[in-house]
This record gives sequence, structure tokens and C-alpha cells, in this order.
Amino acid sequence: LTVFWLSIGFGVITASVLSLAAVGLALQYGVTNYPNFAYGEFLTLGAYYALLFNSVLHLNIWVSMLGGALLMGATAVVLNVILLRPAEKMGLSRPYLLIVTFGLSLILVNTVLATWGPETQVYVMPFQEAFAIGPVLVTVNQLAIMGLAVTAMIAIHILLTRTKLGKAMRAMSNNRVLALACGINTDRMTTVAWFFSGAMAGLAGVALAIDTSSFSPTFGGQFLFVIFAAMILGGLGSPYGAMLGAVVIGLTIEVSAVFINSALKDDVAFAILVLILLVRPQGLFNLAGRIS
Amino acid sequence: MDPIVLYIATLVFFWFVYNIQTWGLNIQFGYTGLLDFAYIVFFAAGAYFTAASVLGAPPIGMSYILGFGWPFVASLLLGAVVAGLMGLLLGLVVLRRLRMDYLAIVTISLGTIAYDVVSNEAQLFNSYTGLLNVPPPYNDVLQLDPGVYLVVYTAATGAVMLAMWFVANRIYNSPFGRALRAIREDVDVAGAYGKHTYVMRMTAMVVGCVFAGIAGALVVGFIGAINPAGWNTSETFLVWCAMLVGGRANNLGSVVGSLLVPVVFIEATRYLPDIPGHPELILAGRNIIIGALLIAVVMFRPAGLLPERKRRFYEIPLRTKPMEATSSVNID
Repeated sequence: LTVFWLSIGFGVITASVLSLAAVGLALQYGVTNYPNFAYGEFLTLGAYYALLFNSVLHLNIWVSMLGGALLMGATAVVLNVILLRPAEKMGLSRPYLLIVTFGLSLILVNTVLATWGPETQVYVMPFQEAFAIGPVLVTVNQLAIMGLAVTAMIAIHILLTRTKLGKAMRAMSNNRVLALACGINTDRMTTVAWFFSGAMAGLAGVALAIDTSSFSPTFGGQFLFVIFAAMILGGLGSPYGAMLGAVVIGLTIEVSAVFINSALKDDVAFAILVLILLVRPQGLFNLAGRIS
Repeated sequence: MDPIVLYIATLVFFWFVYNIQTWGLNIQFGYTGLLDFAYIVFFAAGAYFTAASVLGAPPIGMSYILGFGWPFVASLLLGAVVAGLMGLLLGLVVLRRLRMDYLAIVTISLGTIAYDVVSNEAQLFNSYTGLLNVPPPYNDVLQLDPGVYLVVYTAATGAVMLAMWFVANRIYNSPFGRALRAIREDVDVAGAYGKHTYVMRMTAMVVGCVFAGIAGALVVGFIGAINPAGWNTSETFLVWCAMLVGGRANNLGSVVGSLLVPVVFIEATRYLPDIPGHPELILAGRNIIIGALLIAVVMFRPAGLLPERKRRFYEIPLRTKPMEATSSVNID
């Protein structure tokens, strides 16, 4: 039973990381209406950006995380401006847009490989003793990741419901043409969505790297399907669904590690993904009705 | 035999195999519009099942399933069937009523998972080491010199390839192929004309996967080994790139594409000197170019080098002047 409680603890942390990542992906998907298959590489790139701040500039890991996230947000905006927006404006059909993001993932992962090399990297941070909260063992860093995730979720909620920006993004996600007709600057909203998406990916990438204690150029890409599973579980392109999906998937994969080979625990997310697609493809909480 | 002959025979062999793969992907994406981003997984399925069924019971220190000791042709068929079955399972999950995003998402996930499972489950296919020492098919009967055998095997692969070429073109020109292209252009319209779009897309999916499986089986017979390093995701990009560069839904274009991208480009960069201390740079640079090429083709020449020759239909010109549209609203 102790093992079970421990795995619940891990599950909450994985869910925190996953919620950051899944919400970021869902925001962009909702606004632009196509998935970004290079999103896993956004996580990787964010983690390496933070490494730049952390090991080159010798900054504290949390400051580095913020720096990495901002830099990643900027990178996402640049990629949108130089690649994805022109592709959309050229009238590329949907499958081709997906191929563009798919090709982008290959470019990004190999850029990271060429820049930082294939070695496994670690952040410079003080060793932390794990302490017990009830039956669960955690470190201060893990608590901080949880706090960060909760804060980010609340911030996203306020952004989407209380600000003009968030309302405009939701309007676009519901009906792009109508949003345009209402005088919403859809180009600017798309840029904002890409920035948030990239920044969330950066946060998630660094959090994932802290959580798993090391990272390499392929680690984000390998995590991508878990993020997609969380997002689809909640309903495509719905940030709230993504939050809930993240909790379910995070807990399930960590608890399943008690029963199966822990190297394969992430693959449980795939099983859930398949199950969801068979039983309830619109997701558990399909708020925006994004299915055609 | 002259080493240059062997080298060229090897290149020709891989060209043939890439042709088969590109045609398979062409049936899926080119004809039907299915986004299969895990194409290499079906290749691997064919390769692994063929190898594991050609090999006898696992020797000490190795572990894998099957181990039938079957003849090569039977094993190849098994590999092709397994690849097709995997395509069928995938289709059952995503082709029924979901939009295309899901197929792309699930195939990308499948690529990661398959790699994970095969690498970590040693019981399945001997994990990272993979399957080794697959005997050259039928050389125990033929007793040929390795060099001569290589040329003979390449020729045999060429014969298989011709058969696949025939099948791929036959599908394209058949009423079924026409229905597939209609589905590609608009699935709802094809459905409205009474085409059973689910069954047809499923068939295209499975046939494409069988092509991949046969290609995998042929490669295993040639190099005698398969391990996870031989089918990482960048291989999928290579096949996609070859197909799109050559020309979507044009099988002759695929032949050109798989000559240019996987054979000429990769071979030309294979012998570049390594940058001292950074052996990964060449590999990374090559993949960056492949990715950039993929994006560039899609953006600037989506029809490829040899575009599909779409059939034109003669339209009877209208005698009377068409009525001026009066009540139309321009939305954009």
C-alpha cells in the first residue's frame, strides 16, 4: 500500500507537468484549429533554453525556468510568423499543414541535437531531501512544480474568462469567421496563442526535466503522445478538458507503474487514448464542440 | 566480384525497397489522403515477423517470439499479413468517424510506443540488440558466392517490385482507385454518391501497410538483421519526403523521389567527413535538410516533381448566357 501512495504522489506531479503541457497545446489548437506536431520539441527546446540560463549564466533554476519559458514563447511566435502563418495564408489544405508541423518537429529535434549534442543533460540545483506529507514522499522542487501548475491553471482560467484577450481567443476558437466579423484581430490573437502555447511548453519542458532529473534531445518528442492523450481525453482544443485529462492520465500512468514494467508506464497513456477514441471520441468534456 | 558492382547492386536494392514503401504510402496518402505518420512501424512489423519466423528457436542469450524456422517466402507472407493486421487495428480505432487529425495523432503516438515496447520488452524481439543472423534466403539451396547472391537477391527484389508496381497502378486505375481519389478530395461527397468510405479507406490503409511489411521483409532477407536503430522515426520522414518530392499519387514520381531522396541524397552525404568531436552533426544536418525539404515541397510545389495527371473531362459549353447571380453574398 505504501507503494500505491507513493505512486499517487508521483501521479500528482506528473499530472502537474502534463497539465502545463496539455493546456498550452490545447490553447493553440483551439485558436488555430490544427494540431502542432512539433509541440514535443517545444518542450525539449524550452528545457535547453533554461539550461542556457542555468549552467551558462549560473542563474537559479526557477529563474532559468521563467527565462526558458519566455524564450520558448518568443520562438513559437517566430515560427508562427515565418512558417505557419505564411503556410496558412498560402491556402495550404489541412493535411499539408499537419505535414508542415510534422516536418518542423524533425528540424527542431535535430537543431537541438546539433547545438547541444546527444548527451544527457542535468540542471545545476542543490540536492534536496525528500520529506513526507502523510504517506506521500515529496521534495521541495516537486511541491514547487505542483504550485506552479496550480497557479498557471488559475491564471489561464482568469485569462480566458475575465480578460478581453481571453474572450477573444475563445471566440476565435468557437468560430473564426464570426470572430473576425466582430472586429477581433485574428492574426494578433493567433500570435498571442502561439506565445502562450510556447511559454507553457517551456514551463512544462523544464518541469518535466526537473521531475525526471535529466533530459536529452528526444525527451520532449517522446512525451508528445502523453500530452495528446491528455488533450483528447478532455476534448480537442479545450483548455479545461486538457486540465482534467492531465490529472486522469498523470495519475493513471504513475499508478500503473506499480503493476507493469515501469519503462512502459507512459504507454498506458496510449491505451487510454485508444480507448477514448473508441468509446467517446469527443472527449469527456467537450465544451467547444470541436468535432466535425 | 568487383566491389563497385556490389555497391551499385546494394544501392539498387535499397532503391527498389524504397519504391515499394513509397507506393504503399502513396496508396494511403496519395490516393486516399490518409495521414500515416508511423509508416516505418509497419515496415518494422514486416521485418521483425519475417525474421522471427525464419529463425529457429532462440539461442541462449537471445529471446524472441515465434522462432518457427519457416522458409523465407512463408515468413515474408506472415510479415506482410501482420503489417496489414496492424493497419486494420489502427483503422478500426481511427477511421470510422473521426476527422483526419486523430489518425495523424494516433500514428505519431504509435511510432513512439512501438519503439518503446520493442526496445524495452526483451521477450518480444530481443530489445535493442534485435534479431541477428537471419540466413540469406534460399542460399543453402543455391550455394552461391556472397557477391553473386547479392546480385541475384536484388534481381529477385526487382521482380517483387514489378509485381507491386502492377498492383499499385492497377488500384489507381480501377473504379476503386477512382473512389479513393474522390474520398481524398471530399469524403462527404464520395459518401453521398453511395461509396462506402469507411471500408474503402480501411482497404487503402491495409494495402499500404502490406506494402510496408513486404518492404521490411525484403530488407531483413538482405541485411540479415533488424533492431530498433534501423527504424527510428526519421525513416518515416524519408519515405514521406520521397513520396512528396516525387509527386503525390503518381507512382512514377515515387520512383524518381525514392531515387533522389533516400538513395542519392543519403548516399551522397554518407561519405562526408565527420566533424571532429561532433559525429552527430552530419546526421543532424541531414535530418534538418530532409525536414526543410518536406516543408518546402509542401509549401511551394505540393504536386511534386511529377504531378499527378488528373483526368480532364470535357464540359459541354453552355449555349445561353448564364444568369447573373443576384443574391449571392461574398463571405470572404
